[in-house]
Amino acid sequence: MTTAVSRPPLTRGGDRVIAGVCAGLANHLGWPVRMVRIGMVVAALAGGAGVAFYAWLWIMVPTADESATRGARQPASPIAPAVSAPADGGPGPGAPGAGPGTWRPRLPGMPYGKEILLGAGLLLAAGILVARLAGLDVPLGTLIPVAAILGGAAIAWMQLDETRRAGIMDKAKADQAGGWARLAAGLGLVVAGVLLMVSGSGSWEQTWLALLASVAVLGGVALVLLPWGLKFWRDLEAERAGRVRATERAEIAAHLHDSVLQTLALIQRRAGNEHDVVRLARAQERELRGWLYRDPDRGAGQLSDRIKEAAAEVEDSLGHAVEVVTVGDCGMDERTEALVQAAREAMLNAARHGGGAVSVYLEVTDDAAEAFVKDRGPGFDPGSIPPDRLGVRESIMGRMRRHGGTAAIASGPDGTEVRLRLPLTGAAAPHGAGNNGNGTYGAGDNGEEPQ
Amino acid sequence: MSNQPLGNGAESVPAAATRVVIVDDHAIFRSGLKADLDPDILVVGEAGTVEEAVAVIAAARPDVVLLDVHLPGGLGGGGRDVLAGSAALLGTTRFLALSVSDAAEDVVSVIRAGARGYVTKTISGAEISDAVRRVAGGDAVFSPRLAGFVLDAFGTAPAEIADDELDRLSARELEVMRLIARGYSYKEVAKELFISIKTVETHVSAVLRKLQLSSRHELTRWAAERRLL
Repeated sequence: MTTAVSRPPLTRGGDRVIAGVCAGLANHLGWPVRMVRIGMVVAALAGGAGVAFYAWLWIMVPTADESATRGARQPASPIAPAVSAPADGGPGPGAPGAGPGTWRPRLPGMPYGKEILLGAGLLLAAGILVARLAGLDVPLGTLIPVAAILGGAAIAWMQLDETRRAGIMDKAKADQAGGWARLAAGLGLVVAGVLLMVSGSGSWEQTWLALLASVAVLGGVALVLLPWGLKFWRDLEAERAGRVRATERAEIAAHLHDSVLQTLALIQRRAGNEHDVVRLARAQERELRGWLYRDPDRGAGQLSDRIKEAAAEVEDSLGHAVEVVTVGDCGMDERTEALVQAAREAMLNAARHGGGAVSVYLEVTDDAAEAFVKDRGPGFDPGSIPPDRLGVRESIMGRMRRHGGTAAIASGPDGTEVRLRLPLTGAAAPHGAGNNGNGTYGAGDNGEEPQ
Repeated sequence: MSNQPLGNGAESVPAAATRVVIVDDHAIFRSGLKADLDPDILVVGEAGTVEEAVAVIAAARPDVVLLDVHLPGGLGGGGRDVLAGSAALLGTTRFLALSVSDAAEDVVSVIRAGARGYVTKTISGAEISDAVRRVAGGDAVFSPRLAGFVLDAFGTAPAEIADDELDRLSARELEVMRLIARGYSYKEVAKELFISIKTVETHVSAVLRKLQLSSRHELTRWAAERRLL
């Protein structure tokens, strides 16, 4: 804690009463939060210095989320930059709820803070009432407007925080209506307070006049400042868009550097070994494709992903191109895992014994998941597999049978195709699929469905 | 197998050489492809940008244009802009899309803009030559991946009634698409389904037409999900 290096960044933290300034400060300085809070209150009593300091920090210090997203802009782990979550905002223990995307844990703190504020306000009101009863002369005419102004300002400022956060959350405008209501409430309170103060609780006529005059002035000011404001807003938007583009560029550059350039360097070093070069190029192509065309909305770990992984493994280990085409998808369980393993075994066989590219096709419908593995090798007679060759008999056929699926092998002079089928509806009703186990020789499409 | 691949369609090869324009922004790739193509395929022009391509195609009037999906220039749409700029020639000149990308949006958008087929740049010179002859003969060329996209977009259930013929694939077309997705050549598909290669080509052309013309709800939604339209 003594070295400046180990200090967590100054951010407004999750443990907030008003805006999290004290918590953030305490976290940054390594002091107990309570001490900081008491100090702040004492400072506030000392001629309002604490209030000014607090407000200044509130404006200047970013929240933990903002800081985290800012930190994440620097591509930290370019090997898998798309997957790399925003870098953790600071050393864990000091920063509860700091780090990527943790505005949710902070929300429960908000009502709590509001209650405290409300309680403090009520206490204050009660104190004033008691003081009045005790005969003390409390200048209510000044206090109420001041309280109204302060309350309204506080509400509006909370709103500022909210909008900042909404900007990070991007277009999640779930509580936009609430935000507008708060803004209106804050504005109303402040205006009412100012009016009361200015008119000195005078007659309504005076108040109306003042209101009219102020509205007119505000309107005039808005008319004059609107073009400026609009221009400023557009510049801001343009700048933001530019920054997003720059970030994307940086991310892509980092990715290319760490993957493609490295691979190219490796390829140059091993230019003599054709096998290695092909393998490296294929692996890099796969990785780059995965990075470029990945659908960010789709979760990983689906059946198609696993089949592609298996194909990638086979490609890597045998240096043989395996083309995968998938239609439809489903989640993984023990049975689909068996399908993946059987398909993997078929791909291994195809890459070892077949020639040319290996084609893998996965089709998932509501009824079944089917996988086809085709090579262009010389073909073989599935009936003539020696009994000791466990690869085909056990790893493919037996495995599919045990999980209620079927496997068939069609082989001819143009190549061999392994057809795997796994019914998906109904928990595995293991029908006697063994009769197909010996495979169909030559043509005869879809002959393997036992139903 | 690979020298006379995919059903050596002698009936689709014109007696004269097939005249081809190569559109690709990488000069290295263009020269490599030129060297790889069979001798009966004559490269009559090359272009590296959308504007060049439209001009060269209009001047050379080739049988087939080998068209890269991603190109500089134009409205930023790459190969699609070339197709739009050459719309008047679509009857006589045929376009075969060629790309390193196998992203659905690239493939399907260029097909819907009028290309007669789609192959990836990793396939061999013999295979590209065959695809060129096939496209020149008026057929469609589907790679396994394109067939996969078609199955994904149209769904894997066959059409029951005839009047939504643009919106669904027939049972036979589905079978053909599935086999192509499984890596079968046209010849193997024909053998597997006990039909002639010509019939396979008819089915594939029908699927291509549906892919280009269908405004099927599901296809539109599928495309919208992938920001194709």
